[in-house]
Amino acid sequence: MPTLLPDTATYAQLDTLYRNHHGWLKGWLRQRLNNSADAADLAQDTFVRVLLARTADSLREPRHYLATVARGLVIDLYRRRSLEQAYLEALALRPEQYAPSTEERVLILDSLLAIDHMLDGMGERTRGIFLAVQLDGLSYEKAAARMGVSVTTVRKHLAKALLHCLLLEEA
Amino acid sequence: MKAILTEAVDWYVRLNDSQADAATEHEWQAWLHADSRHVEAWQRLQQLQQRLAVPSPQLAVAALQSARQGRRQALKVLGLLLGVGVVGWQGYRASPLSADYVTRVGERRRVRLADGSRLELNTDTRVDIRFNVAERLIHLQQGEILVQTGQDARPLRVQTGEGLIRALGTRFVVRQLDRATEVSVEEHAVEVQPHLATATTTRVEAGQSLTFSARQTGIVQAASNASAWTQGMLVAVDWRLDRLLGELSRYRHGYLGCAPEVAALRLSGAFSLDDDEAVLDSLQDALPITVRRRTRYWVRIEKREA
Repeated sequence: MPTLLPDTATYAQLDTLYRNHHGWLKGWLRQRLNNSADAADLAQDTFVRVLLARTADSLREPRHYLATVARGLVIDLYRRRSLEQAYLEALALRPEQYAPSTEERVLILDSLLAIDHMLDGMGERTRGIFLAVQLDGLSYEKAAARMGVSVTTVRKHLAKALLHCLLLEEA
Repeated sequence: MKAILTEAVDWYVRLNDSQADAATEHEWQAWLHADSRHVEAWQRLQQLQQRLAVPSPQLAVAALQSARQGRRQALKVLGLLLGVGVVGWQGYRASPLSADYVTRVGERRRVRLADGSRLELNTDTRVDIRFNVAERLIHLQQGEILVQTGQDARPLRVQTGEGLIRALGTRFVVRQLDRATEVSVEEHAVEVQPHLATATTTRVEAGQSLTFSARQTGIVQAASNASAWTQGMLVAVDWRLDRLLGELSRYRHGYLGCAPEVAALRLSGAFSLDDDEAVLDSLQDALPITVRRRTRYWVRIEKREA
């Protein structure tokens, strides 16, 4: 059975990596995030990623690698924050219609993040049609009217979007 | 597997069509049972549907679209994540403290502009006037104004932190909130264009009000006494006490708040903005509360002990 904990040699390498570069990485992140708490969190997450990927031993340019991993985490954090802010704004602009609890909001935000990832790589028209039909639940005719396209175009882009989402899981 | 997934998607799109009939469904059934991999593909499609099911989908779509647009905009504006940083985005909205017309806290002021338009500034407001040969632009930096447009061929627009409001021969109130703008129309109509929204403008008619952010537009609602302040009045209709105190706070310095157990008390009434001490006294008569004044600048409303 594979164990999650690295063997002694890997652990020693990771330890060295951490000692040598943790401070630098935190500084690097703080410059980009303007926030030391977020920077500390993401620096920690970066090392967890490296630990799980078990790549600590094969790093020729550790700082370059750490920065690449950390940059991905910064983008994720930014994505989450932007979605959260947009969702709260949308809520505030539709008063008293729907007020999810804090727990519900976290779940909704997770769903939105997952959907947001699916939307990556879709063209603007495909995305609009996909959201109109799959989330808003519009008929093809209504979606076509909203987007100013034909029903045939709606069918075509919807199929394209769904296939895109399914293939995304395979990758 | 990609070929089979493509087939499954095509079936899904056909079945989901309002034109789909029993024959389509029959054919689909035949396809589904022809191969176990078809069933598998179909299940994956259904799992995808489950992941797309979110409560209040219209909110979700609005959030997804606007977050995406906001990120794209931010990337464009700041060269984000390429070295500049995530934050710093609030900074670019900050405006200087000088303005053409200013009111202090508690002050109201009337101004007649060069084109004959009338402007009223509510408490704690800053406005810049930018008229040129092509247009008349009123820049509301902070606070709240009432605009009564004068006769002039040039278009008149009010700019706020979140967007542009184009007057269509009209009288309307614009209020700068925290990261949102509220516009209430008294005569004729206005058109609202948030700064970062690509969608077309939203029209707000007389008797209606609309709140919008830089990326999103709320729902057009019935306006309620938005210009009462020009008469020195504050009109509350079934308001919570904390809302009333929040409004009154705009007109005075210092802290004016209440204990949580009285925050949700409801009240209606017309209150004078020029004598807030009298307003507080009248609240004490109407509600089971007591007003604690530690100094002129620290007033807290609490539950009255029996």
